[in-house]
Amino acid sequence: MMLAAVDRPVIDLSGGRIQPLPLAIPAPLGSREAGAAVQAALAQDFERSGLFRLLDPQSFLGDTGESLTNVNYREWQTVGAQALVKMSCEPPATEVKCDMRLYDVARGQELLHGTYTAPRQALRLAAHRFGDDVVRFFTREPGVFQTRIAWVRESETGKQVMVSDWDGFGPQALTGASINLLPSWSPDGKIVAFTSFRNGDGAHLYAVEVASRQLRPLILLGDFATGASYSPDGARLLFSSSQNDNTDVYVAQFDGSGVRRVTDARGIDISASWSPDGKRIAFVSERAGTPQIYSMTVEGSDVRRLTFQGNYNQEPAWSPKGDLIAFSGRDEHRVFDLYTVAVDGGKVTRLTQNQGTNEKPAWAPNGRYLLFSSTRSGKRQIWMSQPDGSNQRQVTSEKTGASDPAWGPLPAK
Amino acid sequence: MPVLPAVALAIVLHFGILLAATLLPRLFDRRAPPRKPIIAHLVALGRPRDPRLLPRKESPPPAAASKAAVPIPSTAAPAAPRKPEPTRSELMERALARAAGKSDAESREPPDPERAGSATGSAAGTAATPEEGDAYFTAVHDAILEHYVVPSVISERERLYLAASIVAWIGSDGRILRYELQKKSGNAFFDQALERAIQQTKLPAPPPEMARALRDNGVVLNFRP
Repeated sequence: MMLAAVDRPVIDLSGGRIQPLPLAIPAPLGSREAGAAVQAALAQDFERSGLFRLLDPQSFLGDTGESLTNVNYREWQTVGAQALVKMSCEPPATEVKCDMRLYDVARGQELLHGTYTAPRQALRLAAHRFGDDVVRFFTREPGVFQTRIAWVRESETGKQVMVSDWDGFGPQALTGASINLLPSWSPDGKIVAFTSFRNGDGAHLYAVEVASRQLRPLILLGDFATGASYSPDGARLLFSSSQNDNTDVYVAQFDGSGVRRVTDARGIDISASWSPDGKRIAFVSERAGTPQIYSMTVEGSDVRRLTFQGNYNQEPAWSPKGDLIAFSGRDEHRVFDLYTVAVDGGKVTRLTQNQGTNEKPAWAPNGRYLLFSSTRSGKRQIWMSQPDGSNQRQVTSEKTGASDPAWGPLPAK
Repeated sequence: MPVLPAVALAIVLHFGILLAATLLPRLFDRRAPPRKPIIAHLVALGRPRDPRLLPRKESPPPAAASKAAVPIPSTAAPAAPRKPEPTRSELMERALARAAGKSDAESREPPDPERAGSATGSAAGTAATPEEGDAYFTAVHDAILEHYVVPSVISERERLYLAASIVAWIGSDGRILRYELQKKSGNAFFDQALERAIQQTKLPAPPPEMARALRDNGVVLNFRP
């Protein structure tokens, strides 16, 4: 309806609270065995994503006689649901097949539906696939439920590179338990490069093929080469190495050939991270007296200092969206916490505070989450958070500790 | 003097006067631009932070969620409810009570020594810098903002350009008599969230001199995430 032109005061409102969408997942129809497993994985994905708030099933109305497609929207509105997921799974044979649907409760509409299959031994996959479709439907961005993460299991005998699902489920060792650190995924998700002291002659870079666990040396330069980082196109590799008592950032081809130094300032230049377009790198430099975050072109020109607050900033990680660089910084209480700095403008935002030591930020491939290590629960563990510091959740529960997270790429389409 | 030219001249002059009488008011008597009240908040009591230090968080860190937090049937009993953070309007009420010498025990709690603010600010302040404002529209703004929830499923990118307008008519007792979505955002979940905010908001009664205009003409609420 057109409103008559009358003189009205105007109030501008912005800054509404960002809150997860209330979502209901009633008990699955069909096979209880398969349905319960898929429902549990989906509920965990949605809850951890920070996008949805799952309504307590105890608040749901009793048997309403609903089918998969016959939905009593008014009753779901009564319990506070704004979105509804219904599913029906067939009894699992070699694989499980589930019909899964998403509804808009307020408008009384089906938004999404599909049939999702997964091997019987990996029922979670069906939930992850549907979950990613739901995330893409709402956000128009890819979800991360099918991604994998790498991290380091800490023990008294050594440090081991591990891989697991994004939520820490199903950890598997990629290396033995010598001293292995700082894993980094190749963009196709097939290779994890890492720093290793395995030969007892200093730190060097190695690569392990995720599927076969086959290991090969990557960079054996000098007695110290560390912190591998693959370029977004997978063609090049950044790392740091000490030559002539000076630590600098180097670039090489993805197979370790064609090594070239890209920094030459006095003092330490280390911890290089690619911008998402592969044109610039962020790194830590002591050239101004204290460790601070800088950026420059991958050729070594146009050096810009990005952080000016604090006197010990390290471990930069450039967001896949390109606008932020996460880093860990030591505050005035001499505790390391996570921060982001805006690439344009330099605004620094704090993500963690008064929750132990928080270090080693690593972005999810869609830029919606960060992994990091934290000592808040005792032993160092992997945690995740959203880029504003909200929705912090524990990912690993290793008896002897976990550190150095790296988030793998999105699955190939 | 010939009669015909004189009559023609008179007709032209009369026509010109009529035209001017019709058009000139339209040219010079344009409607005033919509009035945008200035929203004001109390400045927080605190110390200006040393710009060389890394920043503090603007709000307390969120409570860590446990791994078993997903509400699947037969999970553990819910945790005991935490004391809720004071709302913006509660803070304003406390500030007003404090000004009137009726401050409650909570408002006398010592302020966070590391909180960013002004040395001359209020313990109940919510803003870091001072602003001017219109008291009633600030109350309307804050009351709606308390219920203004943006679903997190809306991506950051989409939040940059989403905008919607609602016209709300306010009764003399502060009730929202009716509202209309004047301009939709294009995102159904955002528009639904705005309507929910309006339905849940309880406004204070407007001052008598504003009551009639707010009841008859309403107020435009421009929403951005």
